[in-house]
Amino acid sequence: MFVYEKKLQYPVKIKNPNPALAKFIISQYGGPDGELGASLRYLSQRYSMPYPELKGLLTDIGTEELGHLEMVGAVVHQLTRNMNINEVKAAGLEAYFVDHTAGVYPQFASGYPWSASTMQVSGDMIADLVEDMAAEQKARKTYDNILRLSDDPDVNNVIRFLREREVVHYQRFGEALRLAQEKLNQKNIYAINPSFDK
Amino acid sequence: MKIDIERAAMSAGCNYKNGTLPSCAPLASTFVPEQQTEPPKYGVDEALTRGTLFPGLDLPFMNIANTSNPYSGTPLGELMALKFAIKELNLYLDTHKGDKETFDMLKEIIALYDEGHRKYVKKYGPVKIDDLMYSEKYDWLDGPWPWEFCERMGKD
Repeated sequence: MFVYEKKLQYPVKIKNPNPALAKFIISQYGGPDGELGASLRYLSQRYSMPYPELKGLLTDIGTEELGHLEMVGAVVHQLTRNMNINEVKAAGLEAYFVDHTAGVYPQFASGYPWSASTMQVSGDMIADLVEDMAAEQKARKTYDNILRLSDDPDVNNVIRFLREREVVHYQRFGEALRLAQEKLNQKNIYAINPSFDK
Repeated sequence: MKIDIERAAMSAGCNYKNGTLPSCAPLASTFVPEQQTEPPKYGVDEALTRGTLFPGLDLPFMNIANTSNPYSGTPLGELMALKFAIKELNLYLDTHKGDKETFDMLKEIIALYDEGHRKYVKKYGPVKIDDLMYSEKYDWLDGPWPWEFCERMGKD
């Protein structure tokens, strides 16, 4: 089960609202490489993991990603707080505003709604872990691009933290894959799928 | 044998920013260097600010890392820093469960967190629903909620 802690993993304190930044940062909430997809990917893949290190790591990183989802939501919320209709228009936020007002909706920067088609649960340990490593790199890349686009120091402070977490998670998934592969037949690590072939 | 490999790695210029790879591995597989055990660590506040407890994994974009975080030095900031170190060691130990020294460090940080959390909750209100055992009234709903902007930070 999950128990809510009424604090963020890392502080979000954005002094200057700026809806124009929220328009693309929303992609790390519900975009193709965002935190919602990350948390659901890991928390869903863990059921078919055959080894305790993998069950543990997917649970522990998946849980952390839920905390990151909350942080990105806080960034979008603070960037769009107290905005009036002129600021909505000036930021070019009309298309988002007409559907969601100043709510936080999981969508791509392009407006496409969050989709489970951006993630996979393959039921195959190696396929899933290799996807997870790629997912961390794709999220890292998105944060790099946000840092290229944003000049708000309060926003960038949060984004740098989140980006560094992707680097650490990539390392851990890599180590987990190695631990898992070492348990397989070294003459042919693809001889069976240990999640299915008992 | 292991010591020979480590000595060879050191003489090749390897340090805490490098990890070990197998000298012989099955084809058509992928390997990430394994972080060496008992790696150097930042202090907990610096770790939170930079986004990792481990200098070896600290690889910032354009080499620009955070030098401060907005809650640093506040009661809530201290709690966040300890909780972050716990999470980081949790993930590390998931793939290095034999590292006794780091496990002992995790236990020490959990004890510090437990003590800090209790003091914090008594002064500023509940962080988890169970913390209501220290409350005089039902103050779970009292703001600010974590995502809300507030001028004063960390209930300082």
